Amino acid sequence: MFLEVSSVTKSFGGLVAVSDLDLGVNEGEIVGLIGPNGSGKTTLFNLISGVLKPEKGQIKFGGRDITGLKPHRVCQHGIARTFQLTKPFMQMTALQNVMVGRLYGSNPILSIRKSKEECESILGFMGLGGKSLARATTLGVVDRKRLEIARALATKPKLLLLDEVMSGLTPTEMEEALKLVKAIGDSGVTLIVVEHVMKAILDISSRLIVLNYGEKIAEGKPQEVVNDKKVIEAYLGD
Amino acid sequence: MFGLVAQTLVNGINVGAMYGLIAVGLSLTFGVMKILNVAHGEFLMVGGYIAFWLFTLIGLDPFLCLPFVGVILFVLGALSYKLLFSGLAKFHEEAKVKNSLLVAFGLFLIFPQIARVLWTSDERAITPAYSGESFAILGIRVGYVPLAGLLVAVVIIFGLHLFLTKTYFGKSVRGTTENWKAAKLMGINVERTYLITFAVGAALAGIAGILVGMMQTVTPDMGMPWTLKALIVLVLAGIGSVGGAFFAGLILGIVEAVSAIFIGPYTMALGLVIFLLILMFRPQGLFGKE
Amino acid sequence: MAVDWKKILPIVGILIFLIFVPLVTSRTDVLTWFFLTLLYIALSQSWNIIGGFAGQVNLGHAAFFGAGALTARYIWLHFGLPFPLALLGGAVAATLFAMLIGLPAFRLKGIYFVIGTLVLAEILRLVFYTILPEADVMPMKLLGTYSLNPRYYLSLLFAVLSVAAVYWVSRSRLGMGLLAVREDEEAAEASGVNTQKHKLVAFLISTFMAGLTGGIYAYYGAAFRPGGLFEPVWTFDAVIIVFVGGVGTIIGPIIGSVFFVLLKQFLSLYLPGGMHVAVFGVLFIIVVLFLPEGLVELITKVRHRLLGESSQIVS
Repeated sequence: MFLEVSSVTKSFGGLVAVSDLDLGVNEGEIVGLIGPNGSGKTTLFNLISGVLKPEKGQIKFGGRDITGLKPHRVCQHGIARTFQLTKPFMQMTALQNVMVGRLYGSNPILSIRKSKEECESILGFMGLGGKSLARATTLGVVDRKRLEIARALATKPKLLLLDEVMSGLTPTEMEEALKLVKAIGDSGVTLIVVEHVMKAILDISSRLIVLNYGEKIAEGKPQEVVNDKKVIEAYLGD
Repeated sequence: MFGLVAQTLVNGINVGAMYGLIAVGLSLTFGVMKILNVAHGEFLMVGGYIAFWLFTLIGLDPFLCLPFVGVILFVLGALSYKLLFSGLAKFHEEAKVKNSLLVAFGLFLIFPQIARVLWTSDERAITPAYSGESFAILGIRVGYVPLAGLLVAVVIIFGLHLFLTKTYFGKSVRGTTENWKAAKLMGINVERTYLITFAVGAALAGIAGILVGMMQTVTPDMGMPWTLKALIVLVLAGIGSVGGAFFAGLILGIVEAVSAIFIGPYTMALGLVIFLLILMFRPQGLFGKE
Repeated sequence: MAVDWKKILPIVGILIFLIFVPLVTSRTDVLTWFFLTLLYIALSQSWNIIGGFAGQVNLGHAAFFGAGALTARYIWLHFGLPFPLALLGGAVAATLFAMLIGLPAFRLKGIYFVIGTLVLAEILRLVFYTILPEADVMPMKLLGTYSLNPRYYLSLLFAVLSVAAVYWVSRSRLGMGLLAVREDEEAAEASGVNTQKHKLVAFLISTFMAGLTGGIYAYYGAAFRPGGLFEPVWTFDAVIIVFVGGVGTIIGPIIGSVFFVLLKQFLSLYLPGGMHVAVFGVLFIIVVLFLPEGLVELITKVRHRLLGESSQIVS
């Protein structure tokens, strides 16, 4: 198992966000993570990436125990993530945003000069080619999403967690986004994708995991999971 | 011995009432909007000066100035909020909190200078005829002014408490404090709640200023020390409890009065040290939630 | 390495001009004016590192300025050691003090850090006013031979060094990390930046520089009360200079300092002392609300407008 989440529990005050969760991801997969609002998807991302520490349970990555590590250490071990509401470094240019990822991520380059070229090509790959010198505040919502992913890619992750990148996109934009995500997967990065847009997630995932109230209620091939009674109930009851 | 202890307590409560009053205003602002108004003391200063003006220019008794100062500071607070702080809505959470503090800092830079132009650096005191008078109970001196000040503070705090628990608007303030997103979804006008909360906070500070003007003096630079006092009380009390802020103010007043006997000139520093210690080791304060 | 003569020449020119000033005039008021401006440049650049680059609004900067100043003063005048040693001693003392409080200080999040640092400096101010109430006066022998020139050149040297330090940081990987921390700590962490370490490093650099600047002031001041070295004005002046000039920029604090001292001189002629602070207060608010990069941004925008370039692209 590439990523192993074992019996992880996290609660806030009285609310249990993630409850005794077991989850595994194999190298090279694109795993779709779905579930109604509040089912614990973002909390899970926060637990994996180190923003939150689980009360119980363990998280292992590539055989290494990463439970409770600080986010920057998790990133240096090769896990990157994007945020639901993009968090660009506003006053920095797109290029500088990506450069931070390259200079500090896993396997970092220490020279600013050397990182520039690589970061330019990452921006190009994400469709931000001509905008490398634009300040993040001037970028529109869609470009900020691209930038968010570009910066995450610059950290040279082995596992990338994408949090609802499709929300608010037009059908054309979504097509493009799907192509990019597939390309990222093809380049050797394992992906966990959280999405609400069903069509998109069914298209790219090789496997689906469904959460509800912090528990895993279904797992398996996308077509099977979508027809699972429990899953349908969970969404309808919401 | 009893006399000394009791007198110290009384003195402490006198000052503590003012501490409580100014802390409550800051507690409201911070609790509801997460804006740490480091210019809070400036509103106190303005209130003191306005009362001074009303008293010296038209002879209005400072206690009668209360409603006027309250209204003027309410308006001033509302204006400050409308012009300055509401412009921060465009920033995300982290930046909004930081920038609110910076904007307040800007106000803190401006107010004392304007005060200096209007009233000079001289110390002003509001001294109606009954200023120094006091009566004795069991050998303890109780000043009329501090006693009246304490009563005023208690009445106001009580009124505020009723306002927050019994009125619709008061409940919307508390709802917004808990969770502004939920409050918005329930139809509460969050922006207007913020505006009025800020204005009320300013008004409370202004009223406290009248008391300070009567019991101590008013100077252009008094804002920051009083803001710090309010902060100490706030951290002592913890966020979210209006009554708690008032009691913490009294406690601070008493602690200062007592320690003044033993460590004299270091009393002010002691308060600040307590502040830092609580911030580090018990950030939720004595009465705070969490 | 290509040398950009267009940029280097004016800088060299200004430096040569500054070097010649004391040789051309011996007017105390002019030299003092220059001295203060240069001192402010050094002081504000030191705050620029922690406040401008790392984005940590440290309102206790005066504590380190004061620690450096007081230590240097004592080592020099009371223990009789040569001044260069005292200067270094002051800076080291300031940095050690920073290391002591740095770790607990940065555990405080956001605004608690701001208030905490402010309170810390206040405590020091009150304590020193109480335990050292008397003014510390230079001995008669030194007062007799007091010359402003060495003070001038020392502050010129440090102004240049502080600008160089900021320039170096801005070009370095450290600088990128600091800016990321400033803009969004959570995103910075997610990108692999150790935010705690970065804040601490910026803090130590900043306080070391502040300590040196304090030492220069200790060398300059004929007499002052030790508590006065910890007055919040040393922090606030630096903060407003950096913000109004342009946080996280190299020229920002320089423009800000010159503007600040000029305004102070000018306004003191017509209005009660201190009005320059009010003006800066207004500018400060404008910068926070509309112009995050201060005067530098304003000048750049105006220049682009005049030259017809798009102001969307950052040069």
